[in-house]
Amino acid sequence: MAEPLYRANVLVCGGTGCTASGSLAVRQAMAEELKRRGLADEVRLVETGCRGFCAMGPVMIIYPEGIFYCQVTAADVPTIVEETLVKGRVVQRLTYQEPLTHKAIPFYKDIPFYGKQYRIALRNCGLIDPENIDEYIARDGYAALAKALSEMTPEQVIDTVKRAGLRGRGGAGFPVGMKWELCRKSPGSEKYLLCNADEGDPGAFMDRSILEGDPHSLVEGMIIASYAIGCHEGYIYCRAEYPLAIQRLKIAIRQAEEYGLLGDNILGSNHSFRLHIKEGAGAFVCGEETALMASVEGRRGEPRPRPPYPAVAGLWNKPSNINNVKSYVNVPPIILRGAEWFAERGTERSKGTAVFALTGKVNNTGLVEVPMGITLGEIIFDVGGGIPKGKKFKAVQTGGPLGGCLPASQLNTPVDYESLTAAGATMGSGGMIVADEDTCMVELAKFFLTFAQAESCGKCVPCRVGGKRMLEILTRICAGKGKLEDIETVQALAEGMNNGALCALGQLTPGPVKATLRYFLDEYKAHIEDKYCPAGVCKALVRARCINACPAGVDVPSYVSMIAQGRYAEGLAIHRERNPFALACGRVCPAFCEEKCRRGDIDQPVAVRQLKRFMADHEADIPWTPKVPEKKWPEKVAVVGGGPAGLTAALRLAERGYTVTVFEAAPKPGGWMQYGIPEYRLPKAALQKEIDAIARAGVEIRTNTALGRDFTLDDLTGKMGYKAVVLAIGAQRSRRLGVPGEDLKGVMHATDFLRDVAMGKPVDLTGKKVVVVGGGNTAIDAARTALRLGASAVHVVYRRTRAEMPAQGTEVAEAAEEGVQFHFLVNPSRILGPGYITGIELVAQELGEFDEGGRRRPKPIEGSGFVIAADVVVPAIGQGTDLSCLNGDAPETNRDSTFKVDSLLATSRPGVFAAGDAVLGPATVIEAVAQGNQAALAVDAYLRGYKAGNARRMTEYRTTDLSYKLEDYAEAHRAEMPARDPDERAHTFEEIELGFDEETARAEACRCLRCDLEYEEFMAKQEADEG
Amino acid sequence: MAMVRITINGRELNVDAGSTVLQAAQQAGIDIPTLCHHPALQDIGACRMCLVEVAKQRALQPACTFPVSEGMDVQTESPKVVAARKFVLELLFSERNHYCMFCQMSGDCELQALAYRYGLDHWTYERPHEPLPVDGSRRYFMLDHNRCILCRRCVRACEEISANHTLGERLRGAKTMVSADLDAAFGQSTCVSCGTCLQVCPTGALIERYSAYRGRDANHELQHTPSVCAACPVGCGIDVAHRANHVVRISGDWDAEPNHGLLCVAGRFEPFDEVRERVTRPMVRRNGALVEADWEAALGAAAEALKKARSKAAIATARATNETFQAMAALFETAGIWERPVPKLEYGEAGALSDLDGADAIVVAGATPGTRQRVVAYRIRRALDHGARLFLIGSDEYLAPHATLAVADAEAEKAVRMAAGAASPVVLYGADLGPGARAALRQLAEKARFIRLVEGANAAGAAAEGVGAWNGTAEVEALYVLAGDDPAEAPALPKAGFRIVQAAFKSALTAGADVVLPSPTWAERQGHLTNLEGRVRPFDAILSAPEGVPAEWQPLVSLAERMGKK
Repeated sequence: MAEPLYRANVLVCGGTGCTASGSLAVRQAMAEELKRRGLADEVRLVETGCRGFCAMGPVMIIYPEGIFYCQVTAADVPTIVEETLVKGRVVQRLTYQEPLTHKAIPFYKDIPFYGKQYRIALRNCGLIDPENIDEYIARDGYAALAKALSEMTPEQVIDTVKRAGLRGRGGAGFPVGMKWELCRKSPGSEKYLLCNADEGDPGAFMDRSILEGDPHSLVEGMIIASYAIGCHEGYIYCRAEYPLAIQRLKIAIRQAEEYGLLGDNILGSNHSFRLHIKEGAGAFVCGEETALMASVEGRRGEPRPRPPYPAVAGLWNKPSNINNVKSYVNVPPIILRGAEWFAERGTERSKGTAVFALTGKVNNTGLVEVPMGITLGEIIFDVGGGIPKGKKFKAVQTGGPLGGCLPASQLNTPVDYESLTAAGATMGSGGMIVADEDTCMVELAKFFLTFAQAESCGKCVPCRVGGKRMLEILTRICAGKGKLEDIETVQALAEGMNNGALCALGQLTPGPVKATLRYFLDEYKAHIEDKYCPAGVCKALVRARCINACPAGVDVPSYVSMIAQGRYAEGLAIHRERNPFALACGRVCPAFCEEKCRRGDIDQPVAVRQLKRFMADHEADIPWTPKVPEKKWPEKVAVVGGGPAGLTAALRLAERGYTVTVFEAAPKPGGWMQYGIPEYRLPKAALQKEIDAIARAGVEIRTNTALGRDFTLDDLTGKMGYKAVVLAIGAQRSRRLGVPGEDLKGVMHATDFLRDVAMGKPVDLTGKKVVVVGGGNTAIDAARTALRLGASAVHVVYRRTRAEMPAQGTEVAEAAEEGVQFHFLVNPSRILGPGYITGIELVAQELGEFDEGGRRRPKPIEGSGFVIAADVVVPAIGQGTDLSCLNGDAPETNRDSTFKVDSLLATSRPGVFAAGDAVLGPATVIEAVAQGNQAALAVDAYLRGYKAGNARRMTEYRTTDLSYKLEDYAEAHRAEMPARDPDERAHTFEEIELGFDEETARAEACRCLRCDLEYEEFMAKQEADEG
Repeated sequence: MAMVRITINGRELNVDAGSTVLQAAQQAGIDIPTLCHHPALQDIGACRMCLVEVAKQRALQPACTFPVSEGMDVQTESPKVVAARKFVLELLFSERNHYCMFCQMSGDCELQALAYRYGLDHWTYERPHEPLPVDGSRRYFMLDHNRCILCRRCVRACEEISANHTLGERLRGAKTMVSADLDAAFGQSTCVSCGTCLQVCPTGALIERYSAYRGRDANHELQHTPSVCAACPVGCGIDVAHRANHVVRISGDWDAEPNHGLLCVAGRFEPFDEVRERVTRPMVRRNGALVEADWEAALGAAAEALKKARSKAAIATARATNETFQAMAALFETAGIWERPVPKLEYGEAGALSDLDGADAIVVAGATPGTRQRVVAYRIRRALDHGARLFLIGSDEYLAPHATLAVADAEAEKAVRMAAGAASPVVLYGADLGPGARAALRQLAEKARFIRLVEGANAAGAAAEGVGAWNGTAEVEALYVLAGDDPAEAPALPKAGFRIVQAAFKSALTAGADVVLPSPTWAERQGHLTNLEGRVRPFDAILSAPEGVPAEWQPLVSLAERMGKK
């Protein structure tokens, strides 16, 4: 019976990803709905294989229009039928939305995920019914086979594959045509053809999707290969964990046999070929060709040394050819469309496309096929849509558990066999796992190593024992029990395994470890030396993610729990152990703790900064006098610079019994807190209370005393008698734009501008048009200050996009609310004069290659210049340390004018330490405080002659019992901070935020999940296990 | 064979094109260290001790499997190679318990020797080794997993040499363990105690209970003497380690036909079960009681009795040497061994056990090699592993599960017909050969090689001297019984008025004798044995016999002299 003529096709993805997210129910609902509406003869329902966009599953495509619906549920089906299939309208809410702009993209062809893809191996996946050979034939299926058998000799087939430049897609990249030729020329009439479909990498499902979505393409590829090589028996080795793939392969083989495409005298030729499926039991090592063959033969799946190679002695000791699924499925299009067509795509040595299973911390997880030569960055950010939740990209693991991971600095690496290998990763068979900032690279290496060593067959010593030893060492490091020499031992193990293991599994097991050591050595060292896991992952090192995220390691859960109990003074005391600036940080801290708060995984993070502010405000009128020992050490210490780093260092040294003098060039101490951060964010009165407290600790603060002008470094250590010096001189020199017109009147560099305002110098911007250049916090501060000084218009121009802005998101949002206008992807090329500024010429930018830090580097679009009128231009594109005060005898510095220091902040000059922005470059108050803590510890260690550790572990953390029931606050939402209205606040320097009331604060504090208690439990258990 | 030119350590060599780098180096006297390699086993390249640097190869290559090729340039002790070997050794020492001083193999251990060779003087890795079980469930030997380096020599020996397939690996990666069957206790497994695993183990993982701590080769504490096993008619070559006139250990002789190192429990272990009391002085019955006498008196009494007797005969263990049987045949017209007779087929060409290697069909008819000629049974299974099919006529419990077809004698025709299609069949037949098989096997007369599985260690040697299976009368006046050191009880003997018993150990037989003459044990005698293939093998004495115990043949010759025979 002829099939009815359908007016529409509804394609529902039946791939494993979409099936997992419920596509089966969608398909059933659709079938029922079509039947109920009497549309079954008009609309054809097709279950396809994987279309790749698994993150958005279940996906549905409706032809002829090509409407793409995602995350469809069975409940959506009646709407789809009614709206789209009956009324011809798009259901907007089911369309794909561009994540940044939330723009709906209704049509499949417009979705950026597919934009940079080019599909050869996946040509039919998601478009045809994999269980119907006719659909495959309708898309030129088996035409290549017919062409090969009727028009080409086996040698011509091999020659075509060779000229196409197809390399083995299993990972090693051996030229496919050459492999075939070797086997063809190998003596013997009994030869075997094998397909490696034993995809075992965690997170990889490329082969699976092809087997499930387009099994005939593999069957056809193998038949062509069998003809080229001259063999008559073939095996597909597929893991038993892929039941759907096996079922569809069986159907495909049966159909091909029925159609005379498999079996004796295929298509009337002299060529005969039989194809069998061998189910593997899921051993990763059986992906190694000799182990795979051992397994097919029924023996323990273990590799054997080569030579002899399979082309000479393979399965049952007969010449054999083995290729990966993707290698075979590339063959029919090559035969049909020619070697030249295939070789058009890709790079010089890697032709065609690469298929990746894109997973991990990336928005568009799924299956992608891209031309070889595309960069890693393009795959992750263009195809993959970037990193979820605005987190930072950290690394990408390619090549599966035996590959390697590459950092942001490698995002421009083109995807091809040689480039990836040179960078320290491998192509592998196509796994690509993206890691974000919350990934610990030591833990990641350990994860892959755990897998690889467990999958070792145990035959050769380097792999069996080496992998285990390496894992033990990594486990130790993650548990904070590593030793520095462990790194060397791991490297030696890696080298030994590379050189000595029997097969690729053992040789490449150290891959991820080697790559992380190459690119993330500092992270290993942090675990070993500082007992600190920067990503906040390693359980034994992370008391709570918030504590871990805080640069100064402030004991957040403890003081938050004190707030919950109304014990504010105690909470504040806990806070001050690591950070004396509770009033200031309660207002200006970017709250790294909140970014990592586990409550944020569930709903919103605990409002830690605002809780801190409430606590500090509550106690503000009780003067704090830090406790200092009565007995003083004889050594005097000088601190140069009265900013947060300097003051903190001075306080900590006083607490340790030193006589400390702070030298401050400005009239008032406080540094950037005094002269940079505007009053509306940090009222100076609040700051003064904290400075006063430090003075009460006995710290002498000499203002208006400038290094270089009033004294020199040599004076300090010489005639002034200081035994140690902490240089905390900040970074207040604005970087210049470097464009013509920068010296015109009306150009005010942001640091000067903000300082002048803070000092009360008259800066009148009434009615002026102000353009601020830059995207950091200083730029935003300058813009909002300008607004408050009466500017008629304030523009912020930034050369990248909003997503890349280093400024705090809330700051940017508040500025916009107040009326600051933002211009992204533009950069000044000229400031127009003459005399007074009349305008600024801007050039539009586009984002190009990735820089070292993983951000895209803007590059000007030629001829795109335009002018906006301006009276004042405020460059705020970065700051550096002014080293002129050191009169040329500064300790060694880095290229960006920061001091060169060791991990204990010692400079190249004995007894001289550095801290704060002068080390970090422009940073935050809390980071400066952390450096102050560390510098004080280092000075003490230097003067007292011991080895200092990390200041985070300076004092013991305490454990406070849970005072409330977590369940009671399960549904509680984050409290909103009361703030002044944007219209009102934009014209006054009054503080914007108003602070919590007590009731709100105590309830908010109870939202804390108290991760620290879990840590205590974990450590107690571990101790018990070890004991 | 074609030759290729290669360079090893700068030395140019001409070597067989088909050889491995290791073979080429060994021929040239260049020592490449190995661990998993054993000359009797297939190489698997697992331990990575023999890694060498081959020019133009990306990674180091195992010499044991890497084939030579024209122009190849090999370095066997380059810094990279030495580093890789040290790495392997460091890992092995970190894996399990290798505190050498507590190991009975200390001094004789290949792992230990390599550690000395490469200067391992400390542990590189922290050693989290957790104690593993020691499998002491076998009677004659133990498997101590703590000393195991997973080289798999034992597994391969069990598979390739004894073809018993008991040993294997279980689990994988760092958890890999050698195991018997599917993780059975060794003692409850299908192991047949051939002991080949023991013989190939490079460390102290497989320990023989008897020889443990009894001496080592390292300080020349042990001496070695080759000999021939007298446990059954296969006549395996053995290597006997002994010290201070005691046998310490018996190993298979790798170079000997027909066993090539393989032995069975009877040859390797059972000799150490000996608990019987030794006969060291002649005895004669006086006034109803056996009393010690000197040789003169004992031989005199025996000779007198023999002279007087109108009918006399001799019956002997089949373990006696050819020389002894010769002396016996000279003295007694009626003489026989106490084993069952095995008929001889009148057709077919006699074969050797080595014919089993190329056989594609094996017929076992009326024989039970699984219990009587075990090494033959193992060789049959080895042939089955290489593709031969087995047809069993009669019963053999050991072989039956592996037979393509097992039938009773009445249906022999069916089995033989199936075997007749084979290109090179081998027939083994024994004492229970029935008429059905005898008739049916004729079909194979032209094609097959026939091997007669005689019973009794030196039955073939006895027959050659004219001493066949005992077929004598039920009653004689004087009977000479040569029991030697045969561990088997003597069978029902003919009635006799006077009994002379030559034996190494006291037994019921000696207790009922009129004259007892001492005899040496297997290790104390010398002479020749002839195996079931007809292979005549000389052997020397390993131990010196107790004073006053003469050669096995000596009493017979002395008696002959006394009786005037030459």
